[in-house]
Amino acid sequence: MISVKNLSHSYNNDGILAINNISFDVAKGETFGFLGPSGSGKSTTQGILTGLLKQQTGKVSVAGYDTMKVQNERFNKIGVSFEQSNVYSKLTARENLKFYAKLFDVPTRDPDELIRLVGLEGKEKVRAGEFSKGMKHRLTFARSMINNPELWFLDEPTTGLDPTIAATIKDIIRERTASGTTCFLTTHNMYIADELCDRVAFIIDGEIVLIDTPKKLKLQYGQKLAEIEYFKDGKLITETLKTIDNADKSRIADIIKNYDVQTMHTKEATLEEIFIQVTGRGLA
Amino acid sequence: MKLLSNYIKEMKIAARGFYFYIEIVIAVIIVSILLFAISEESVSREKEFLFYEAEQELYDYIMDPYFKDGRLVRKESVGFKVKAMDIEVVDQETGEIISHHFDENTIAAETIEQYDTKTGKLDKTIYKVNSYEDMLHLSYSEQSFGAVVKYELDENYKIIDSYKYYIQGYETERFMNILYVLYNENPEVLKEYSDKQNVRVLGDMEKLNNRESMVPIFLTFLGSIMGIVIVVAYLFLDKNERVIKSFAVTPASINSYLFSKIMVILTTVTISSVIITIPVMGTKPDYLQLLLFLYMSTFAMSAIGLFLSSFFDNMTNAFGALFGVVLILLLPMFSYFIPSFDPLWLRFFPTYSMLQGYKTILLGGIELRYVLLYSFIYLIGGIIIFALANVRLRKTLTV
Ligand SMILES: Nc1ncnc2c1ncn2[C@@H]1O[C@H](COP(=O)(O)OP(=O)(O)O)[C@@H](O)[C@H]1O
Ligand SMILES: [Mg+2]
Repeated sequence: MISVKNLSHSYNNDGILAINNISFDVAKGETFGFLGPSGSGKSTTQGILTGLLKQQTGKVSVAGYDTMKVQNERFNKIGVSFEQSNVYSKLTARENLKFYAKLFDVPTRDPDELIRLVGLEGKEKVRAGEFSKGMKHRLTFARSMINNPELWFLDEPTTGLDPTIAATIKDIIRERTASGTTCFLTTHNMYIADELCDRVAFIIDGEIVLIDTPKKLKLQYGQKLAEIEYFKDGKLITETLKTIDNADKSRIADIIKNYDVQTMHTKEATLEEIFIQVTGRGLA
Repeated sequence: MKLLSNYIKEMKIAARGFYFYIEIVIAVIIVSILLFAISEESVSREKEFLFYEAEQELYDYIMDPYFKDGRLVRKESVGFKVKAMDIEVVDQETGEIISHHFDENTIAAETIEQYDTKTGKLDKTIYKVNSYEDMLHLSYSEQSFGAVVKYELDENYKIIDSYKYYIQGYETERFMNILYVLYNENPEVLKEYSDKQNVRVLGDMEKLNNRESMVPIFLTFLGSIMGIVIVVAYLFLDKNERVIKSFAVTPASINSYLFSKIMVILTTVTISSVIITIPVMGTKPDYLQLLLFLYMSTFAMSAIGLFLSSFFDNMTNAFGALFGVVLILLLPMFSYFIPSFDPLWLRFFPTYSMLQGYKTILLGGIELRYVLLYSFIYLIGGIIIFALANVRLRKTLTV
């Protein structure tokens, strides 16, 4: 569905690369996660794949179309949800979706059904300008499904949403991807990546550091961490240490010897911890 | 279809925003000023250059009563210094083009003042010259009305001819015409002799009254200048909301998006122009011609607006440039009111031809050729600029 070879991008052609020589492939039906901290180049990559940013180098094919060529009809197969919501504030929720549906040449979904799906029922006739940030975000998300896309781009789909709504959104994504939609998902939230993605790419400073399935990553890096809770000067402190690292091993011994250890167990690494181990940096 | 749904959406948005109402409110204010504050009084021609094609005795015979009753007063003769110029005259009747070359010269003219007998006010000053060529040369270098008045007597000493070829010195040289018009200040004479003469009655089309003559100014102002600013305002409103990005990931083209914006401008301009024109002009103008000219010129102007906007990324930055362009485009309005200020370069301004075109249409559309030619120029120019804007905006709108 997506094939990217040696893609780089510089916003102002000033030699500063927002993404640097990245390559990856996304298979049909796969949910591919782009996991990385803010500013690592995720949205930039989505921008090029969706044709919003002009491709400068490399070879990219999306849904069978070369992105160097302008072929608008490819968007009949593609759905895009944006990190920053972008709906007409002067139009109602329903009008926003109705108008958008008319731009496609393929059968589209019922606007009201989509509005219901993202939990905005009753707000059909309210202008998007009166919506909260989260509501606008959900409307933007709902809109990305209007043409039943085969390939679905989701940029930070749950960021800024409260947990119950985020759970609804995750369910919708799971359902669609289970029924065969290919999904390119961008996030700095490791839970999302872990729960929804068949494979994840770790991206940092515009470079892909590794691509694998969450399961393999955890097998490879999991069970090798020890989490110790102990009291130091009356305060409870938590430390996560590698059981295979010599320095960490002696640190564990040190803690046991000097402090009042509350709990201590080995655990499966989260994607975030793996991310830190691999890149040396956190996702925040 | 996509263009239509785009247009419907844009109209909804426009109707819920305030730019739309600004333009309508301005139109209502303008028409109120025109109707209540500006009189319908004719614009004085001030200066007229006349050549009487008649024997002196006959001229005296016809004119003496007027000199006696004080309507006409003879003044000292004057000499006009005129520059060398070439003039092409198109005979409206035969289509024949006659070229004239004039050298630098000083032309002597008899000065006659004409007074309104009722009010006693000076109506205009007539400069009587000795040849058709002098009349033509003077009328064009002074940018004033010029005419040939012809009188003849039949064997019974009745006046058989009383008509004028007339020209308006401020028409563009290219499209200037000699019009055969019955001199309509004397309708009785006209009636009596018109059967015998090979003359065409063109009615009182040659003059707009005070109030009417303001209409082309406002049509030009609203249709184009408001068009430029508002199309850009709409565009940047969308850019602020980032909706252009969402549009760019659909199968619809940016082309239809941009054109739907122009269609909104055309719609609002139609509304505001109708608000101004109908109460002032009534059924006099040919509204089909008016709409054609309005649409073509506004399309070209909005395309210019879109093109300009492609150099900026928000309204604040674009405003300075737009303001500058608008001020420059206003220059031909001076020439409209001050006929003697009419440098050649001003004629390349689109607003110049718009003013002339609207005036022509409001006069009754006698110079259809002018209207059609400029409509065509606006259309072609507009398409080219729109295409350029399209190419540029495709790159900058979605960043
Ligand atoms: N419009 C822009 N102009 C210049 N630099 C940009 C622009 N958008 C993003 N960047 C830079 O490109 C880098 C990657 O940004 P982005 O792709 O938005 O990251 P992410 O989506 O992973 O948070 C960042 O350093 C950011 O500052
Ligand atoms: Mg981002």
